[in-house]
Amino acid sequence: MLYAGQTTDFRPRQRSLLPGIVLFALILTPLFSAAQTSDSEKPIPILSGSAGAFSFVTAGQNLIDTQINPVLLVPLGDQWLIESRAEFEGQFQRPTPDEPYQGPVTKHVDYAQLDYIANPYLTLTVGRFLTPFGIFNERLYPVWIRFLQEDPLILPINTIDSDGIMFRGGFPVNAAANMNYAVYFSATSIGLSSVDTGRQVGGRMGFFFPGPRLEVGGSWQRTLQDERKNAFGFHAEWQPRRLPLTMRAEMARSFEGSGYWAEGAYRLSQVHFWQNAMRRTELAGRAQQFFVGGISPDVAANLGLLPANTRMGEIGVNYFLRDGLKAIASYGRGFSPAGNFNQWSYGIAYRWLIPLGPTGAR
Amino acid sequence: MKTRPVVRLIKVVLAFTLASASFVFADGPSAGKDGAKDSTTATVEQTNNLDAMRVAGEQRFRTNCGRCHAAPQKFPPRMMKTVLRHMRVRATITDEDMKLVLFYMTQ
Repeated sequence: MLYAGQTTDFRPRQRSLLPGIVLFALILTPLFSAAQTSDSEKPIPILSGSAGAFSFVTAGQNLIDTQINPVLLVPLGDQWLIESRAEFEGQFQRPTPDEPYQGPVTKHVDYAQLDYIANPYLTLTVGRFLTPFGIFNERLYPVWIRFLQEDPLILPINTIDSDGIMFRGGFPVNAAANMNYAVYFSATSIGLSSVDTGRQVGGRMGFFFPGPRLEVGGSWQRTLQDERKNAFGFHAEWQPRRLPLTMRAEMARSFEGSGYWAEGAYRLSQVHFWQNAMRRTELAGRAQQFFVGGISPDVAANLGLLPANTRMGEIGVNYFLRDGLKAIASYGRGFSPAGNFNQWSYGIAYRWLIPLGPTGAR
Repeated sequence: MKTRPVVRLIKVVLAFTLASASFVFADGPSAGKDGAKDSTTATVEQTNNLDAMRVAGEQRFRTNCGRCHAAPQKFPPRMMKTVLRHMRVRATITDEDMKLVLFYMTQ
């Protein structure tokens, strides 16, 4: 009887478990299925970057510049991103015509930052970041992006890297305009030349009008070490809808120096002959001027600024061999009290993108 | 004791109902009994929405990305998500622009 009773009791329990197991399994199946779908759509780490090899001939002196700039992107969850860019650059010259090329190979951490996308209006960044003064330093610096390979003369002004915290974001203010902003504070780093920064506070604000494809904005920075000076900058960018043309300009005014540059690039995709070659060809030009500031020539040289007022005009051509690979050539003429000079350049720039995880189906 | 089979039956029915419901909700809304017509309408609307999103995405792509660099090729979605998160921070593009560009670049 006991056995029978136990058997009788056992069977109903087994039966009553069945729907529970089925329910559990069937409910969990789509959940796991959804989780797998989610996993398969998650962003993966990427090793990107650019490389270039150029020859710059300035006033008859040849400089061979080779550089590799790897960029590491590691997304974490839905709102975090670790990003970093380093620069390895070799600059080789002949001390005398009879000697071989020689020169320093430098390395530098341009940025190594952690981003937290808090909401559509705010991204919080901590770590080392590119100082958002003007637009060239942050957006246009990579060799595969810039129209002309020579740095603008005013680039060193207030663009030393920052170590600290930054608040930034971009959002539509109405149907016709988007606003973008960045506010930052940087502490001074000491000792390591490859990660030097300045103690500074500043911000940048811009308005982008998608209709006319026009962006205008301004930057401000106050240095909180040595000479406590303010610096200002303005930038503008315009792409007419009917032409494959891009126009940009930037000006900066600071204690160390002042100046402006304006450049344009026209893609020959609308030319009706040799279309295969023409659509890969881009003509570029830049006009710029630099005015020395209140610092000595030696300090200016340390910052990468010229020791004398200089005007310069450049023209160039870029030929896109394929996506991410372009050949460049340019000519420029500089006018300065220290002596006028010609500047030639030619070379090649390449950009790569390597996934560091399974990419899933295309 | 007589109610046990009924309870068991209710449990089984409830289990399958919940399980079915979980599938339905996991896969998104689906058509009901008179679903053929509604389904077609929904598909057309969805297609129109997708087309509109694709067009808007291409427009935002050209407007935002083309400001700084030449149009890159399309990459697999998981790579594009990383790239766009990077560009959202770097170029301060808006959340809406990022989503539309991502949609366009992963189609």
